[in-house]
Amino acid sequence: MSILTSSDRVAGAASVGRTKRLRPSYWPFIVPALIVVVGVIVFPWVFTLWMSAMEWRIGEEQRFVGLQNYIRLATDLRFLEAMGHTLVYTALSVAAPLVLGTAAALAFNTKLPARGLLRGIFVMPMMATPVAIALVWTMMFHPQLGVLNYLLSQVGIGPLQWVYHPSTVILSLVLVETWQWTPLVMLIVLGGLASLPTEPYESAQIDGANAWQRFRYLTLPMIGPFLMVAVIIRSIDALKSFDILYTITQGGPGTASETINLYLYSVAFTYYDIGYGSAIAVVFFVLIILLSLILLHLRQRSAWNSGDGK
Amino acid sequence: MSRPLRTLLDKIGMAVCVLLLVSPALLFFVWMLSLSLKFEIDNGAYPPILIPERFAWKNYTTIFEGNSFLLYFWNSVIVTGAATLFALVVGVPAGYGIARMRAHKSAVVIMIARMTPGLSFLIPLFLLFQWMGLLGTLWPQIIIHLVVTVPIVIWIMIGYFETTPMELEEAAMVDGATRWQIFAKVALPIAKPGIVVAFILSVIFSWNNFVFGIVLASRETRTLPVAVYNMLSFEQVSWGPLAAAALVVTLPVLILTVAAQRQIVAGLTAGAVKGG
Amino acid sequence: MSTSKELSLSRRRLLASGAAAGALGLSGGLGLPGLPAFAQSGGVNWRKHAGSKIEVNLIKSPRGETLAKYQKEFEELTGITVVSEQTPEQQQRQKAVIELTSGRPSFDVVHISYHVQKRQFEKGKWLADLTPFIQDPTLTEPGLLNDFSEAGITFARSPEGGIGALPFSVDYWIIYWNKDLFAKKNLSFPKTFDEMVAAAAALTDPASQTYGFVARGMKNANTPVWTSLLLGYDQYSVDANRNLLTDTADAVEAAKLYQTLMTKSAPPGVTGFNWAECQSAFLQGRIGMWFDGIGFAPPLEDPEKSRVVGKVGYGLMPKGPKAHAAATTGDGVGVTAASKNKEAAYLYCQWATGKLMSARLLQAGAGVPFRSSVLSDPEVRKGVKMPAAWLDAAVESAKISRLALPVIIPVTEFRDVLGGALTNMISGSDPAAELKRATADFKPVLERSEKT
Repeated sequence: MSILTSSDRVAGAASVGRTKRLRPSYWPFIVPALIVVVGVIVFPWVFTLWMSAMEWRIGEEQRFVGLQNYIRLATDLRFLEAMGHTLVYTALSVAAPLVLGTAAALAFNTKLPARGLLRGIFVMPMMATPVAIALVWTMMFHPQLGVLNYLLSQVGIGPLQWVYHPSTVILSLVLVETWQWTPLVMLIVLGGLASLPTEPYESAQIDGANAWQRFRYLTLPMIGPFLMVAVIIRSIDALKSFDILYTITQGGPGTASETINLYLYSVAFTYYDIGYGSAIAVVFFVLIILLSLILLHLRQRSAWNSGDGK
Repeated sequence: MSRPLRTLLDKIGMAVCVLLLVSPALLFFVWMLSLSLKFEIDNGAYPPILIPERFAWKNYTTIFEGNSFLLYFWNSVIVTGAATLFALVVGVPAGYGIARMRAHKSAVVIMIARMTPGLSFLIPLFLLFQWMGLLGTLWPQIIIHLVVTVPIVIWIMIGYFETTPMELEEAAMVDGATRWQIFAKVALPIAKPGIVVAFILSVIFSWNNFVFGIVLASRETRTLPVAVYNMLSFEQVSWGPLAAAALVVTLPVLILTVAAQRQIVAGLTAGAVKGG
Repeated sequence: MSTSKELSLSRRRLLASGAAAGALGLSGGLGLPGLPAFAQSGGVNWRKHAGSKIEVNLIKSPRGETLAKYQKEFEELTGITVVSEQTPEQQQRQKAVIELTSGRPSFDVVHISYHVQKRQFEKGKWLADLTPFIQDPTLTEPGLLNDFSEAGITFARSPEGGIGALPFSVDYWIIYWNKDLFAKKNLSFPKTFDEMVAAAAALTDPASQTYGFVARGMKNANTPVWTSLLLGYDQYSVDANRNLLTDTADAVEAAKLYQTLMTKSAPPGVTGFNWAECQSAFLQGRIGMWFDGIGFAPPLEDPEKSRVVGKVGYGLMPKGPKAHAAATTGDGVGVTAASKNKEAAYLYCQWATGKLMSARLLQAGAGVPFRSSVLSDPEVRKGVKMPAAWLDAAVESAKISRLALPVIIPVTEFRDVLGGALTNMISGSDPAAELKRATADFKPVLERSEKT
């Protein structure tokens, strides 16, 4: 109950200043959702924090251990490695879709026949059930029977071991992630392109600027804020990526593609070490928030004045 | 080079570009379909066969025979349906309230909820469900799917109600209508397209959710993504039935995507919300 | 014994109906006529719980499939309705534990892997003690426990003396070998580890995509491969006082052997192989030797799935430098402590591990039962569909059987941590250093697990 009231106050305080004109009589609209949010979102946060200070294994007595779980994390090589994998995976899974998605948006921004249908097809990978597509990718990655190695062999490359070798597994998974999420970047950038004014282009045309110059000096700066939004969203999603990784490699071979999220899953639900798992969840959460704040800060510096929090 | 020719070339170039861009998605799903229609001997063939001489329709019939696939399908429908409807019931008014109160900061909670990894909801809620004795029923999954659906709905509805014109509502207020009447009679009808967007995205992301199911679902409460994962490997190479099952699981979503791509695009560019 | 009479009947039918319809002949012959055999054995009142319903949680494996296939007979025999399900082993283990800890498992009968879960289940007190049922003559045929082999009883008996799960199937690790490939190179089946390494190297020819050896390389799944090799050095991975022996000189030698085989003679991508991938590679006919459990044999002799039908040799594990040992794992079926239908569930367990089902398990090559009377029954043996060499491998392995994995609680973590080290070795890292690190990593986990 105390959680509910205090968060009420916080949310209320935030709105008071600006809503004097309308008076906070819209509260009844919000209360049901607030109860749900407190129950399924805020309560788990708080409870996780509490559990992370306990030694707590499923089916055993719990006891308070303070920061011990966090200390254990600092020396847990597997966790530190997982952190490294997560960062590499995230960086690549942001960069590749960003470049390809921008290119795709430029292509889609022209008047194409059947544009709607093409866009529908293009968007399919990100909407399809991740487990289902991951299973098919697993088959395609098969070193002996997979179609990818066959295609490569047609152009004289390979065979590669894809997700079956530590040195290529992360790149292979990034390939899937890129395939899946390039459409999202494309949509965001496409939205940006649609909002661009036409005058600068007309004058640039008169000045004789070529296509690349127009992109580099006009389009790119103007869609910068949208790219930033794409980077933020992509970073968060890539950090949290689970379904694809779990289905295709389960973090393997060995632990070569084990990210924090996968390690968290193993600790909590295969080793049943709830306390330690909670500590990992907390650190992971803080990491995501930190990264988001840094990116938001960068976004603000990129001087985008869209007003609201979107 | 004459100007019309140039623009024609440009157009052709662009079309080629777009085809190149679409082909990874298209070819993937074509290959998925091909895998699902081949007998094992063709799926193991090298070089790979795209269109087999005889189609293995039995891949599709077998998944509906042994594996209680219909039950899992139904579970998915219930979980997704209940979580989405409930999210609309609480989320649409909340989006309205937040938009009208201009309480943008409260949306930060939603934003952070979106950033939190699904697994970190899972541990505490799992213990809670265990303590409440709900495990083994569909309730835990319906409740935890709210983590996915409620933020999507609220987020999209805030954005939508902010853009709807205020004049009508103000006029109604002058006429002495209560806020609930205004909401129900004026705001809601205008917001219908927004609700459709919220509904579609909420359905898709809830349907696709996998991580909650692997822990919370038992035999009778399993949803489709978990069921198809359970078919994976551990039994020779049975790619045909596996690909067929994968396709069946994701087909409703793919159809919805192509049919409602306009709404989906609108929703995603507005909030770019993804759950779990 | 009426049971064996039924089996010999089935054998005659099987011969009559021809090899192709063999499976059908077997099930047809043992259908209804099998009933009296059950109903008459001892004073067991099989219909005591007619009308009740039980849920059964099975591991997806040839063993689980055998039970599911004949489930109808149990329902007809007892009038108990059975709802059963098979899930892949790793998910099954994980999910079963989660459900059991919740105190309300959705199943009454659970198929457990002794080699992974014995201590964990005992400590969690998740299984009902079957002793009272075993002592009840209306529920149990007399002399039940005496018929299980010693290994089975060791698996089943808890430290407190109770019986947790009835021993169902034992799995010995053997070498499947491709006789054609061996003949082509004029090689004979290796007798020692050294000969095995030499043969594997001689068979390997990457140009023709032929490889001498394959075994699990995937983390977790690969750990028993190494602990099995370690048995050849006369050493377990954990001693009787639960001290880790995973970084001793012999452990390093065994790891080096694993590394050599898996890097020099195994197909590319083997780090991602679990038994299923190994099996499908072997089925293609381009693998010289495959080292894994004996229960994975049936598809090898199935023309629909295999290119090596009739060409497979079933070899006993070669002799190590210090010992000759066949690594052993085992499954059991038990009743959950939370079950509300314990007696009905127990009847299922007894049926599953009974002589009839045990004989079927063996005859299909799906596993080797713990039942001594079944293994030694000549009638049953004649009905075995697998080649004679397969049965010989099972019988010979039994003589040198040793537990493949340590009996500790965190077996999954043990397999993960050590398995990770092994996977790294396949990528070229140093075995001694990897084992040292993995042992240091796992030591606190083991200590924590035994603390309470």
